[in-house]
Amino acid sequence: MGEKPTEISGEVLKGMEKKVEALKMLMDLSSVISSTLDFSELIPIVMEKAKAVMEAEACSILLYNKDANRLEFEVALCEEGPTSELLKKQVTLEMGQGIAGWVAQNLRPLVIPDVGSDKRFYGDADKLTGFTTKSIIAVPLIGRGGLIGVAEVINHKKDYDMEIFQLLCRQFAIAIENSLFHKESLERERMKQELDIASAIQKSFLPASPVFRKGNLIVSAKNISAAKVGGDIYDFVEPAEGRVGVLIGDVSGKGVSAAIYMAKVSSDFRYIACLADSPSTALDRLNISLAGAPRGMFLTGIYMIVDTSTGNCHVSVAGHPPFLWLSDSTVRVMSVPAGPPVGIVPSEYPSASFRLNKGDRLILLTDGLFDAKNRDGQRLGFDAVVKLVTEHLHEEQLIERLVDFADDFSGGGDRADDLTIVELKWGA
Amino acid sequence: MKIDITEHNGAKVFSLSGDIDLYSSPALRKELIFFIGEKVPLLLVDFRDVSYIDSSGIATLVEGLRGMMSHGGKMKLFGIPERIVEIFAFSKLDKVFDICGSLDDAVKD
Repeated sequence: MGEKPTEISGEVLKGMEKKVEALKMLMDLSSVISSTLDFSELIPIVMEKAKAVMEAEACSILLYNKDANRLEFEVALCEEGPTSELLKKQVTLEMGQGIAGWVAQNLRPLVIPDVGSDKRFYGDADKLTGFTTKSIIAVPLIGRGGLIGVAEVINHKKDYDMEIFQLLCRQFAIAIENSLFHKESLERERMKQELDIASAIQKSFLPASPVFRKGNLIVSAKNISAAKVGGDIYDFVEPAEGRVGVLIGDVSGKGVSAAIYMAKVSSDFRYIACLADSPSTALDRLNISLAGAPRGMFLTGIYMIVDTSTGNCHVSVAGHPPFLWLSDSTVRVMSVPAGPPVGIVPSEYPSASFRLNKGDRLILLTDGLFDAKNRDGQRLGFDAVVKLVTEHLHEEQLIERLVDFADDFSGGGDRADDLTIVELKWGA
Repeated sequence: MKIDITEHNGAKVFSLSGDIDLYSSPALRKELIFFIGEKVPLLLVDFRDVSYIDSSGIATLVEGLRGMMSHGGKMKLFGIPERIVEIFAFSKLDKVFDICGSLDDAVKD
């Protein structure tokens, strides 16, 4: 004997059919919203679907701006067409303000059948668009990283399915979050390319070759930036026949701002150095041309002019670490009378003179070398650099030795500062 | 870096601790700009607990000094630790900033 089949009432059947229909729509939607990562394509699709499911007159999405801690209209659609541009420019909500603000603050959905009787309703959007809001369903859009925004359907049909709408909103949240991640990664890639170009342009401000020979003088330089672009500078110029000018400098700060300032320093220096017959005159003039830079920016530097036939050196220093004079058996730390960094206060830079003997070397460096930090947070220090140079006084590849020394000390960590070393060899 | 701001005989005292570098100096800049806007007559920067300062930090202080001078105010640094005295000596910043030994010295003149 078979069991008597269960009878299903017409009403239940109708309800089941609706559920099946809604689930089918959800499946369709998931394939549609996963078909694009383009935020501007995705949002209208999401909105149309929300409007259709809820048979609503209008719907909107407000995105959460974390920095401003406010909700901003991203898009609003109503039967009369999109009103988003109007709202986008003029209406933002504080957390807790209006229905959407309440939902964002409490991370809970809200159904308001009659907005006229709810004090939380914020009517400014209606005033602006001419639309009349009667009812609202607002659902928070929550992604893996927390609140993304709020979806609202306005003037929906009475016979709505909140469960389906919430499922829909969960899908929206994932899709929006994925597209925002995608947008950010595209932006990061664009920034990376910009930095690559900036780095190439900045390198072009340095001498084409890091080695310069003139008479008995050989100048070699090594410049390593902590980031793609840096604030260290070196330059070789010939201010007059038989004279070579060597500059090493360090612009305050790091990154793009330091690089742009370095570009200005480089062009101003080349112009000034050609007209100045002494390092002190050159720094005096550079100090005037770089005065009043934004954000207190300044340059520390050493400018030295070497007579390529006699080995006579004239040097002026602007707030820069001492340089080293290596002779046959000694390393001298050259703290000559100096002025403040260039670009801060009016100043007249003193100069000092000395004469190189055959085989002498000078090492000019920036603080990126001795400020190298190890994993315990200790810094290498200037004295350690002097000690190393003393121990390797006769080594040919001293620049490489110094770079390796700083890198070994840092234990392979990220370089914190730009590093530049310039070596002058006399009579080699 | 931490910034504690107190008052001492009508002067604002910024007590800094930790590293003043590229990452921490924007917070210092924000406070300096606020008090420059308030046109405080004397701003004293306590360096006793500063472990390190880089060129970004120094530039922030230079900007602060310029801001103070623009309304006739004064900015002084005091209690600079030996490790940082070396940086200041290299940089000839004694020609830029008014540097005092202690808070009492800084308030005196």
